[in-house]
Amino acid sequence: MNNGLKVLLAAAAIGSLSLSGCASTMQYGDAGSAKPISTEFGSSDLQQIAEAMVDSLLVFPPMVELTSARRPVVSVDRVKNKTMQHIDTESITDSIRAKLLRSGKFRFIDRTTDAQTIEELKTQQDSGLVDKKSAVQFGQQIGAEFLLTSNFSEIRQKEGSTTDVYYKFTMSLKNLKTGILEWSDEKEIRKVFNRGTFGG
Amino acid sequence: MKQKKNFVIGGIAAAALIASLALAGCSTTAGVEATGRTSWDEQGARILEKNVVFNSSGLKGDIQIVDVKSAMAGDIMRAQATLRSKDRDTLPFQYRFEWYDAGGIEINSGAGSWKPLILYGRETKTIQAVAPDPRAKEFKLKIREPD
Repeated sequence: MNNGLKVLLAAAAIGSLSLSGCASTMQYGDAGSAKPISTEFGSSDLQQIAEAMVDSLLVFPPMVELTSARRPVVSVDRVKNKTMQHIDTESITDSIRAKLLRSGKFRFIDRTTDAQTIEELKTQQDSGLVDKKSAVQFGQQIGAEFLLTSNFSEIRQKEGSTTDVYYKFTMSLKNLKTGILEWSDEKEIRKVFNRGTFGG
Repeated sequence: MKQKKNFVIGGIAAAALIASLALAGCSTTAGVEATGRTSWDEQGARILEKNVVFNSSGLKGDIQIVDVKSAMAGDIMRAQATLRSKDRDTLPFQYRFEWYDAGGIEINSGAGSWKPLILYGRETKTIQAVAPDPRAKEFKLKIREPD
């Protein structure tokens, strides 16, 4: 074969060595990365929703006024997942609750650990192991004043090679005494997938 | 003569091949950093010291930070940056805010996440953030091209 072709083949060989796609790699990724992998609900969507809801609640003027005087007690309700995906919605409310707690403006009660609490208090009261003076009595817990409720829905559209998924997360703060919704906000996310001409 | 010409053609093709392979993995996500620090003047009024740094010349030609503002919601600091796209095309970006207390220590170090942002041709858009707690006195906004 002629020399020009030889040079080209040599260059291709050297070039292919520099392409590292042959070996498998394992590394830590960035937990805050916003690179969408699919139109399914992802970690970046969870982070965006949590931050948007917390930011909105913290700066809402009636809430600013209420939290300037004291820290209201809030209970977090389960998210009504109206999407067709199986999503761990408790992790969304966990993130929101953690951020709101760390802001120092709110206090929270957690109903999911009630069974363990009752068992612990029963042991303190009845087992005879715990000093009566330091044992915690039943009926002293503080009741929640507010309830944080949320809905999560999606609208999925598919046409030809385009898949478009729209997510909407709505959250509201309900005053348990008056029944009034003191605050409500929503976060919308859209993820679009266009299938390329050459597959994948 | 013909042999030499083939060499030259082969050499040019080889160079182009190597160059294109080298450029394939070559995308930077260096970006823009805008900082705002709260301080108080002699009368006790709050002022914001601002600073903008461009780490990427490509981004400098695409995006302009028009203004950086901050306000207080109660005792929690809020930040807002106004961005303007200098490009005619729709450009995707990612941004994130980091917060520091009065001593310059980062609050919630490493906990922030990047958020997607789309700027349409020559559009002006504002992005906002709220500090995680009342200790925050300074923020840093980072903008980059998507990874």
